[in-house]
Amino acid sequence: MSQTNLVVGPFNRVEGDLEVTLDISDGAVAAARVNSPLFRGFEMMLLGKDPRDALTITPRICGICSISQSMAAALALGDAAGIDMPPQGRLIAALLHAVENLADHVTHFNLFFMPDFARPVYSGQGWHDQAINRFTAMEGSAARAAVTARADLLHIVGLLAGKWPHTLAVQPGGVTKAPSVADKVRIQTTLRSFRKYLETTLFGRPLEEFAALTTHDQLQTWTTGDVGLFLRISSDIGLETLGQGAGRYVSYGAYPLPGRRAWAAGVWENGSLHPLETEAIREDLSHAWMLGPDAHPKDGKTEPDEAMRESAYSWCKAPRLAGKPMETGALARQIIDGHPLARTIGTGVEARIVGRLLEIARTQMLLEDLAAQIDPKERFMTTAPLPKSGSGVGLVEAARGALGHWTRFEQGKTTQYQIIAPTTWNFSPRDSAGTPGPLEAALVGAEVRAGEDTPIAVQHIVRSFDPCMVCTVH
Amino acid sequence: MSQIETFYEVMRKQGITRRSFMKYCSLTASALGLGPAFVPQIAHAMETKPRTPVIWVNGLECTCCSESFIRGAHPLAKDVVLSMISLDYSETLMAAAGHHAEAALEETIEKYKGNYILAVEGNPPLNEDGMFCIVGGKPFVEQLKHAAQHAKAVISWGACASYGCVQAAKPNPTQATPVHKVITDKPIIKVPGCPPIAEVMTGVITYMLTFDRLPELDRQGRPAMFYGQRIHDKCYRRPHFDAGQFVEHWDDENARKGFCLYKMGCKGPTTYNACSTVRWNEGTSFPIQSGHGCIGCSEDGFWDQGSFYNRVTDLTQFGIEANADKVGMTAAGVVGAGVAAHAAVSALRAAQRKTQDKKEEA
Repeated sequence: MSQTNLVVGPFNRVEGDLEVTLDISDGAVAAARVNSPLFRGFEMMLLGKDPRDALTITPRICGICSISQSMAAALALGDAAGIDMPPQGRLIAALLHAVENLADHVTHFNLFFMPDFARPVYSGQGWHDQAINRFTAMEGSAARAAVTARADLLHIVGLLAGKWPHTLAVQPGGVTKAPSVADKVRIQTTLRSFRKYLETTLFGRPLEEFAALTTHDQLQTWTTGDVGLFLRISSDIGLETLGQGAGRYVSYGAYPLPGRRAWAAGVWENGSLHPLETEAIREDLSHAWMLGPDAHPKDGKTEPDEAMRESAYSWCKAPRLAGKPMETGALARQIIDGHPLARTIGTGVEARIVGRLLEIARTQMLLEDLAAQIDPKERFMTTAPLPKSGSGVGLVEAARGALGHWTRFEQGKTTQYQIIAPTTWNFSPRDSAGTPGPLEAALVGAEVRAGEDTPIAVQHIVRSFDPCMVCTVH
Repeated sequence: MSQIETFYEVMRKQGITRRSFMKYCSLTASALGLGPAFVPQIAHAMETKPRTPVIWVNGLECTCCSESFIRGAHPLAKDVVLSMISLDYSETLMAAAGHHAEAALEETIEKYKGNYILAVEGNPPLNEDGMFCIVGGKPFVEQLKHAAQHAKAVISWGACASYGCVQAAKPNPTQATPVHKVITDKPIIKVPGCPPIAEVMTGVITYMLTFDRLPELDRQGRPAMFYGQRIHDKCYRRPHFDAGQFVEHWDDENARKGFCLYKMGCKGPTTYNACSTVRWNEGTSFPIQSGHGCIGCSEDGFWDQGSFYNRVTDLTQFGIEANADKVGMTAAGVVGAGVAAHAAVSALRAAQRKTQDKKEEA
């Protein structure tokens, strides 16, 4: 029996910095500790500022999911002020947000996840040449196609919000740009060409067919496009059983539309759906270099432990829902929204990727639907000044999962601001009960081959979560 | 040097056609404001010069600069520049991980010693010995200093590297520090903006690669060709400013009509950047065009100047409530004086702050 310790990091092709410490026993991971080595202190900076400044500052937590941060900040302020966006404002905000999420998923698949299969470690596999050709980092033909298609898709954000990344157009009362009829046509044209990219390159068949899959057996018959290549690789090397999660998922519900969220909010545990009760959230600081008591984010503080005490190992707090770690992301959303395939494909690396692919297909369809509903004659913004004092919460679904902002302000100055990002959930450290976070748990059992200093199985598992480390600690 | 291939060879390898290459050269010439006569010069440089290696490192940041760069630029420009600079070490995009990544960095530094451009995204936090940003077990500031030591020049991408950006906002918990405060012995080109416009990023790099020298910099170290004018100077809503027509509330009729956003806190009048000319997402639009004011993200300290929605208060002398004729004349006079003052300051290389500059203009 051999026991060793391995520190893996930095990881490339993830957003931000990440380090994972592995205890290895008999060629497999026995325990993992995830460290988020980057801390900036956004929650501290917001204190004392105009509450509206959160609209500009929080998106800068992350250049990848900046609209998600923007949306959460706008909803939190809107909640505090009792403002609701007019229906068309909600529609445009949802459209902007869904474009960003869609772009993120496509990036993840092509630039962050698939390039691992082009590595020399897989030479000799029947699909290796194809993987090299399609996905070699920064050179593969799929990567090029994806980057171009995404730049085109983001024209929609340019058009409706002036610029991407770090868009400013989403406000508590709606969006600053009232689209014209010409804008609507241009958006629909852009979406048509993105659909063409998805159907010829990524899926190789109509999106509706992929979204209509209901079982793992049906999924196995999908052979076209890069999705077909992924599924072939996946069944070949067993990604279905690699990096399995606990099967506990949370979603705040994606895209607030008039009267509903496009995809449902909820909690999935023990194979059944439960209502979401955010009051039961606590951030546990036992293994984070943070000071203060465990707290609900409406009361929590961000006070870094500059001594970096020995008993902690990450800047990341450990959020828990009713005391339990939760996994969040595309798979969680699709399970909670009731997609039959998502509910039957397991909890491993393959399931996370398929969850994201399902969401790519469904998001494109949703976007087309939203774009068709744009009515340039309507109002896109209501004015309602912020009160001097108030508190509010903004819950959204970023590409990587549940994102929440909790704000409180008094006499026109922010006095409290807490953010829990998706990767804060997924990559959280242990809590005071010693329960590991979702990634830490998923890594246990991963194979470590002889001589591997950055085990390939570990990389697949880490990237299957699509981590966004800059958001994690913020 | 001889073993390094030329830009053109790299591009050909990447499958970029001669036709696309020539188109790229003319796009670049116009982006740099050089005119068609320079197209052959750019093409010749690319065909004959060995490509310049670029090492791209990330500190405390949000990756928006990389994102702007790879997502936003004209597909051709992005394709060409990506293959051209062939980011020898880029943390977000490269294939290797862990120790291999560290080794790749070391190897690249060794191989191109004294010859490469170091592109820095983000900045080092100096508090607690740099412990708030750790790369490969060491504070980022050490990686930065190490990589800068043998660099030919340093590019500070974005507001983070140039000035600190929002993470340096009070109380600046991590003591996030701009690159030029840490690296003091290398030429540094600041390309501020949060993020910078993709075309500006590719333009700066192309200029350096083509002419083998730094572009002309203003007194803050920004390339003058992109940061020489205020957004206000070329804003398509400028006539409304001059006519005293303003948006008063987000949803009012004036907002629909596209009136000036000055009263909504637009910082266009004090912000030097190319947004109103080059625009964003392949020339699609820019914040003011989407109905939101400029927040001045390419200016030093933009994150700590009071609320982003406060009016720029030191410009009231423009005569907000005055009639169109009077304002028009005043504004024209001010622009003239502004250009003259700007030129004079550049020539003197005086270390004057922009606030003083504004007083001169007034």
